[in-house]
Amino acid sequence: MSATVGPVAINTFREAVRDRVLYNLVLFALLMIGAAILVGEISIGIERLVIINLGLTAISVFGLVMAIFIGVGLVYKEIEKRTLYSLLAKPIRRWEFLVGKYAGLLLTLAVNTAFMTLGLAAALFYVGWRFERSDTSILVAIYFILLEFALVTALALFFSCFTTPMLSTLYTLGIYITGVFADDIRAVGDFTRNPAVLGVTRAIYYVVPNFHNFNAISMAAHGNAIPFTLFWQNTLYAALYVAVLLLAASAVFSRRNLK
Amino acid sequence: MSNPSQTRALWVAVAGVPLLFAAIAALQVKIDAGTRAYTPESEELLLRSGTALKKMSLGYDSLLADIYWTRAVQYYGNRAGIDGAKFDLLWPLLDIATTLDPKLIIAYRFGAIFLSEPPPAGAGRPDLAIELVKRGIAENPEQWHLNADLGFLYYWRMKDYPNAAAAYLDGSKNPKAPVWLKLMAARITEKGGSLETSRMIWSQIYETSQDKIVREKAMETLRGLRAQEDEAQLDQLAQEYQNRFGHFPASASDLRTGGLLREIPEDPAGNPYVFGKDGKSRLDPRSPIVIPPPLSPPPEATN
Repeated sequence: MSATVGPVAINTFREAVRDRVLYNLVLFALLMIGAAILVGEISIGIERLVIINLGLTAISVFGLVMAIFIGVGLVYKEIEKRTLYSLLAKPIRRWEFLVGKYAGLLLTLAVNTAFMTLGLAAALFYVGWRFERSDTSILVAIYFILLEFALVTALALFFSCFTTPMLSTLYTLGIYITGVFADDIRAVGDFTRNPAVLGVTRAIYYVVPNFHNFNAISMAAHGNAIPFTLFWQNTLYAALYVAVLLLAASAVFSRRNLK
Repeated sequence: MSNPSQTRALWVAVAGVPLLFAAIAALQVKIDAGTRAYTPESEELLLRSGTALKKMSLGYDSLLADIYWTRAVQYYGNRAGIDGAKFDLLWPLLDIATTLDPKLIIAYRFGAIFLSEPPPAGAGRPDLAIELVKRGIAENPEQWHLNADLGFLYYWRMKDYPNAAAAYLDGSKNPKAPVWLKLMAARITEKGGSLETSRMIWSQIYETSQDKIVREKAMETLRGLRAQEDEAQLDQLAQEYQNRFGHFPASASDLRTGGLLREIPEDPAGNPYVFGKDGKSRLDPRSPIVIPPPLSPPPEATN
């Protein structure tokens, strides 16, 4: 990895902190405190379950919103503010700039997620006054959520290389939703038994990122062990997909006329 | 350093914002009062398909299940104990919660209680409770508690002893299940409907449940069963008293003075039993004890 990627990543992270992106942690903390206190009063027997489900869902939703809305502006903002030109005048290649931006946002998301994980652990401890061995599944579920962020950020960055933030948001959201429904799209093709439809749905299934793979919230909430095979398969899947998107983004961005 | 106009603006905001919020809240109260008149009273469930909701949840189905379970608890809690209350949405809410999260064991277990309790304590639908628990067993075969719940529903609510015994027996096949499930199956096959069997089932519920509400209900029923047993014995003694003295006892004291009892018996709440003119013993009207409805006679014992 080039030595110029690190400084770009660090600066992207600093910029996010300066933009008060981490303020969402306050909302997350309030959500966890509220749930920890209220759930026992309004429901039966699901205090721990709600804390885990709500905590993991909030980590996922907050992170996805950040990944999409910050990701789509990563390149566009630099062009708009004309800071990209002074940056590219330095000995830094375009792909290094992109990878640096990507790593910076991912670092921001990882730090944000780490703080949220601490908040979730505190709320969980509050409702049970102890941790259980099966709680390690929660950490695995959070790791899967981070992999999901890595994919969504790469998608947002890819689109931001050639279109406006508004359209990039729409495209990224569209692909995210398609990816969530990937299993159902394949099932539609299987159901129709029409070779053409089957071919199209199968193609969509294998081309769009299958976000269903990364959903381990329910397993973690019920304390079920997450198989190690899924752990490395998801890691590899995300790594391959991110590599594809960053390669494509670099190719598009390096050919883009910035004059 | 702020100038005087900035300070003034700050003070105007500090005073003005709470005042404006108070005005908004007062206005909302007015709007509520005006619209309540034409708001339909009946509650509705916009989406009844758990499968559709699962798809629409974008993978966050676990949290949605918790929300629907909480809605079911609130729905039940707002109606339980009110004469004439309807529980029309209870089953759809439980159906959605368990479709969204088929591992939500608490929804099967408590949902079955909410559905099976006779009105006004519950929906009085043991058939739906059985369907719910059967679905839970299909999704969670490792949960022997659900087999025990099914056995209880068949035994206590449906008086269907062969199916009750079969449910306990199925549960006992789980390697993690305690021995008493098998004993219960044998007991019901042999003596279903007897007071002893009922007491055994409720004792097991009391001992194995972690939940305060379930334990309280079990204790309440066990006290009722004890009172039922006491009454049966007192009725026998009253009959004997009648044989000796030619009339039924007017109170438990008569039994003691007649030499049939050493002490005046009390129900589990500490109230003495009273006797009717027919010689039948009854609970004191002030007693909080509730005697459970009688079960059917035991089936023929199988070999």
